[in-house]
Amino acid sequence: MAKPEQGNGLEIRGGTEKLTDREKGQANGTTTIPGEEDQQQVDKYGFTGGAQQYSGDSAEVIPTEVLRQREAKWLEMLNSWDKWMAKKHKKVKERCQKGIPPSLRGRAWLYLTGGKVKREQNRGKFEELDKQPGDPNWVDIIERDLHRQFPFHEMFAARGGHGQQDLFRVLKAYTLHRPEEGYCQAQAPIAAVLLMHMPAEDAFWVLVQICEKYLPGYYSTGLEAIQLDGQILHALLRRVSPVAHRHLKKHKLEPVLYMTEWFMCAFSRTLPWASVLRVWDMFLCEGVKILFRVGLVLLKCMLGTQEKLKSCQGLYETMELLKAIQPQYTHEAFLVREIIELPVSEKDIEKEHQAQLRRWKETHGDLCSKSPPRMHGAKAIIAAEPPSRQELWQRPTIIVESPLDKPTGSRHAKKENGHTAVLPPVEVVNPYAPSSNPSPLLKHMIVEGSKESLTSSEHDTYL
Amino acid sequence: MGSDEAYNFVFKVVLIGESGVGKSNLLSRFTKNEFSHDSRTTIGVEFSTRTVQLNGFIIKAQIWDTAGLERYRAITSAYYRGAVGALLVYDITKHLTYESVERWLKELYVHADPHIVVMLVGNKSDLDSDRSVPVEEAKDFAAKKGLLFLETSALQSTNVEAAFSIILSEIHKKVSSKEVVRGSISAVSLNSSGAENTEKKPCCRNI
Repeated sequence: MAKPEQGNGLEIRGGTEKLTDREKGQANGTTTIPGEEDQQQVDKYGFTGGAQQYSGDSAEVIPTEVLRQREAKWLEMLNSWDKWMAKKHKKVKERCQKGIPPSLRGRAWLYLTGGKVKREQNRGKFEELDKQPGDPNWVDIIERDLHRQFPFHEMFAARGGHGQQDLFRVLKAYTLHRPEEGYCQAQAPIAAVLLMHMPAEDAFWVLVQICEKYLPGYYSTGLEAIQLDGQILHALLRRVSPVAHRHLKKHKLEPVLYMTEWFMCAFSRTLPWASVLRVWDMFLCEGVKILFRVGLVLLKCMLGTQEKLKSCQGLYETMELLKAIQPQYTHEAFLVREIIELPVSEKDIEKEHQAQLRRWKETHGDLCSKSPPRMHGAKAIIAAEPPSRQELWQRPTIIVESPLDKPTGSRHAKKENGHTAVLPPVEVVNPYAPSSNPSPLLKHMIVEGSKESLTSSEHDTYL
Repeated sequence: MGSDEAYNFVFKVVLIGESGVGKSNLLSRFTKNEFSHDSRTTIGVEFSTRTVQLNGFIIKAQIWDTAGLERYRAITSAYYRGAVGALLVYDITKHLTYESVERWLKELYVHADPHIVVMLVGNKSDLDSDRSVPVEEAKDFAAKKGLLFLETSALQSTNVEAAFSIILSEIHKKVSSKEVVRGSISAVSLNSSGAENTEKKPCCRNI
């Protein structure tokens, strides 16, 4: 874990006491006092509280058997990622829509975003950035934000704790990697979500991919990209929910007033946690259109009928309504279904993007920061920069060696059902590849289901 | 925050200032009497209301809060629209946040109504031992610029009520006085029972 060295500019304030501040006060007001906290219940995502993120009953429960099957399938996919992305991308997409098994989520995200490839192509880079002290101006601003991300999550609750340290390292590294971009506050929650699933170096590269491929320009000076996307969202709403569209137009409720936090934080501060994870699984697979769909669904649900609009007479009341989305609409199962079914495509977004860009140029002139065009998801990313096989090899950091497993001279794969696994050279043992002579001890690790996943129809209809 | 509350005026007041000076806690202290050391960074817009009584009038204060970081200024014109008051907040322990005040004022006068009432607020007065902005200096600066001035502590609740009461009072004075040219300041009157009849004024335009 991160060691706070003099060189990297990290200042730890107040030691590592755990501060679980409560935001609800009594009638005469509260001020939180350090040290005065109970041991609260931690939910399965790591949260000790916080209104929006405590999923409670709204999260789906997947039977263990199904979970195991999915894990096996994902392990298989990750093992020959390039093949799956080239030939079976539709299946990858479906599996992302069903939800990535928690145990593999971090790794899947790393592969989906191309973060894995970036990491391999830039070995030693993060370490190099990590050692540097960083621009003092950015460091100061970042430090102010470390204790203000997901304070109700056990990973980030402790001042100067590992979570906050890693958050600092990732954000600081980004400002060194892209000094012309610097730091934008919304990057902190994004990085925090990533750190909940993977170590700092991986989180750094995924952050890079999100900022450069998925949401280019979102965090840059001028925030033009987010404003444009706000206009696109509003324009798309017209077809999805004319009632909502008309209402927002009538009250002159500009998109930046309600969609900024939604999009810049990819809904991580808006939805219950189970739903955040499902949205991210799809977003990292399919790109920004998922964010648009979520926004459109929420707007439609909250403002889509005259009945619902009765309670919001004006701009302010509408904003209040959108700040307090009713739980039934953010419920995991409901939301995911709505997202999948909403007929808004990449093409729709690109078309509207062009239209809004033209309008923008008429009123604002040329864009100040020209961002590269965005990539609509994992397939686009891997197609743009096809990785080598080496770059995709898994590098397990914990290798379990069985005393019964004799090192064999040749490590060729067995052809089973047309599925070949190419094993890496002796350098790193890949525990997930089927070996030619599985020892009795290791045999139980090879799950039956995985042999069929490429050819059989998908039995897992659990949604 | 029921819509069936009776009030004479709605005044929109915006909180502006550098990141981390305490805008969000001033908001929560005033409207909910809450404070948190770890309140989340503001991204986008946050807001809350509180209804107060001033000189016999019932005033609904609509307080808006947004991100203080430099680059968010690009999206703030919608934020300023219709604002009749602004609390320009700095942190008394961080001199840099005070140095930015001039820039914030400039920004304010570009996007907001020219008659907007502004109060300079030096927050975190409870950290007096770490002070880096002398009170007298800030007071003089405020006077020179025609701004109201107070030091507050959202943590200890010091002067928070006072700050809002004073600014709302000043806004009310301005709105009621005939000095204000019709249409140049936006204060929506929704209920004229027992109070002077103030007509609804159109939204202020960006100059």
